[in-house]
Amino acid sequence: MNFSFSEDQTLLRSSVRAALDEQCKPAHVRAMMEDTGNGYGESLWGEMAKLGWLGLPFAEEQGGAGLGLVELALVLEEMGRAAYPGPYFASVVLAGLGLQAGGRADQKEKWLPAIASGQARGTAALLEDSLDWDPASTTTTATKTGAGWSLSGVKRFVPWAHVADVALVPARAPEGVSLFLVDPRAAGVTVTPMVGIDLTNRWSEVRLDGATGELVGQAGGAGPVLEGLLRRAAVGASAEMLGAARRCLDMSVGYVKVREQFGQLIGSFQAIRHRCAEMLLEVEKAHSAVYYAAWALGAGAEDATMAASVCKSFVSEAARQVCGDAIQVHGGIGFTWEYDLHLYFKRAKALEPLYGDAAYHRELLIRGQVLHSDK
Amino acid sequence: MDLNYTAEDVIFRKQVRAWLEQNMPRQIRNLDERKAWHRRLYEAGYLGMGWPKEYGGQGARPMEQAIVADEMARAGAPAPTNSLGVGIVGPTIVVHGTDAQKRRYLRKILTAEEMWCQLYSEPNAGSDLAALRTAAEDKGDHFLVNGQKIWTSGGAIADWGLLLARTDPSVAKHKGISCFLMNMRQPGVDVRPLKQITGSSEFCEVFMTNARVEKDNQIGRLGEGWGIAQTTLGYERGGRALARITTYASQYRQLMDAARRLKRNGRPILDDAVTRQKLGRIWTDLEVERYGALRVLTMLERGEHPGAGGSLTKLSYSEFEKRFMELAEEILGPYGQLTDGVPAEYRLEVDTAVGDHGTWAYAFLWSRAGTIYAGSSEIQKNVIGERILGLPKESRADRVGGTR
Repeated sequence: MNFSFSEDQTLLRSSVRAALDEQCKPAHVRAMMEDTGNGYGESLWGEMAKLGWLGLPFAEEQGGAGLGLVELALVLEEMGRAAYPGPYFASVVLAGLGLQAGGRADQKEKWLPAIASGQARGTAALLEDSLDWDPASTTTTATKTGAGWSLSGVKRFVPWAHVADVALVPARAPEGVSLFLVDPRAAGVTVTPMVGIDLTNRWSEVRLDGATGELVGQAGGAGPVLEGLLRRAAVGASAEMLGAARRCLDMSVGYVKVREQFGQLIGSFQAIRHRCAEMLLEVEKAHSAVYYAAWALGAGAEDATMAASVCKSFVSEAARQVCGDAIQVHGGIGFTWEYDLHLYFKRAKALEPLYGDAAYHRELLIRGQVLHSDK
Repeated sequence: MDLNYTAEDVIFRKQVRAWLEQNMPRQIRNLDERKAWHRRLYEAGYLGMGWPKEYGGQGARPMEQAIVADEMARAGAPAPTNSLGVGIVGPTIVVHGTDAQKRRYLRKILTAEEMWCQLYSEPNAGSDLAALRTAAEDKGDHFLVNGQKIWTSGGAIADWGLLLARTDPSVAKHKGISCFLMNMRQPGVDVRPLKQITGSSEFCEVFMTNARVEKDNQIGRLGEGWGIAQTTLGYERGGRALARITTYASQYRQLMDAARRLKRNGRPILDDAVTRQKLGRIWTDLEVERYGALRVLTMLERGEHPGAGGSLTKLSYSEFEKRFMELAEEILGPYGQLTDGVPAEYRLEVDTAVGDHGTWAYAFLWSRAGTIYAGSSEIQKNVIGERILGLPKESRADRVGGTR
């Protein structure tokens, strides 16, 4: 039993942090937030490909580094900490891990090396207007048309669809909910921006109107693939939230050590000190939850499904609390656009409802326990 | 990172489990029986395991210690006794004691032949322990002790006490304190049980009137008592990492069973979405506590001491326990308040460290103690703020001058 990072994992973390400290400073983040183009930096994207981050969890024969979910979580935590603006999560986690789990050999061969090299960007369209994460709720339809499939329906909150070369799209075929690859630039697909408070992330509505879809795996077989993907996305998003929360904690601790009121450093007041201690406790627990779940999913542990839900339900609320407390501890300055705190606050907020919010995952946990004890 | 137990640990766990199945007493009726059980555990090598071999321990790894405690919690085994002796006094003597003190006291602590208590807190020195006033006056060949202690766990059954007393009132309060081993069985020591909100008396008040402490029962040098107390507090925070979680998990399962039977608006409470959310939150918190325990064990296994990190652990589980017990009360309603006449299906099958009360009411009331003893939650947050986050200390009137 060893709940600590290996030397390689520690090295990976420091190299990711060093690269992002250099190339993803708040000035870069802000420039991308205001960018009227794609909203992410191509040179940093190229650098990430060169450093092997874009193929981190893929097999070596698919151009990947063959690393695990713990390593992926480390990279994502650093991206949350830097409020990295770009399609890393959409491409590597959503499209990459989705294809890795459900794709045919030829589909993996076509897309995974392209994602790993940075030439292609992917995403997944997992939400519809009802916001239900249960794959069974899918209403987008898929009908057979000769050799292919035709998809119709509306997907919402699709991350980085405007720059994606390929999107994983669940749709309801006669055989049941199935997974398809769709080219967001093809005929019959309309991509419309949905602008949220977190400008480091870009969502779109994706309207499918007889769009061409390429079946992934078996028709009617999307359920287990999507459930597995949602668990990985939930833990990945938690890792980003953890990074954002730790950044907020660090900024708060730094601030209360220099800010004076009533002739004293405000960090000497118990009202502030105790809040900072509580923030640290939440961050440390979030760390435990993220890396336990990442390990459990990667190792196929017996409690992996439960650990993913524990992770997302815990971290969603912990990050909200810590990032919110950071604004409170800073006072007025924390409420200004100019100060960087809101970048991380909003990043965490944006991820809170995605891949199941805290309440959704708590219900999954109880349902699992009831099923288990009824056996 | 590999959160599987090693093959070695899995085998060890099986051995402990098998031993408990064969040796565990069904029931403990009195202190003599508990001492006998304690002795059996010690002889089997499952008690004082972390102590160095030369002092009667096993020099066992932290994981082995955690596994034994965990298996005992899992089996619902009765707790051993003399926990302050084994957990705190003994290690203090090992680190700070003279060779003669080690020879005289250590083995009898392990075998529970001599029972120990800790004489620290006073009516006006709780969180502010260094404000203690009990005085030890140097009389040449011995010290004379006068004062009062409170919240003394196991005071009524203790033969000896680890005492903090002021030997120099003229210096800053942290510097005038010394540490002693005091015989509790003498005329100058009066022990009175303190009845708590639980109705039980795990704690005592201890009044010392010209109590005598021999010179060779001083621990460390004069004025070093505060530093020694800080290290002993550190031992107390280390804790029963896995066993605690196993006990919570057992309580959680019993609560789920109750939520299946009890009804609200014609349906089992367990079908109620609000209750499910609350249970889901407690289970989430419980699992996160377990992950945290594995992190702490990883550190201990590498020979690192969590230091002030122990404050995070203690703050976390003690606050969790209050939230957990409040939900239990909510689900159980008046059943959760019964101290007698409890229907069998609403009893709580857990042997607490202090005795088997078998009721949710006791566990609920006891949860209020955890955020106060061994450094209240507020004190833990101060420690976290100052020692981990490096926040500035508050200006305090007591950091200068004497106590006189």
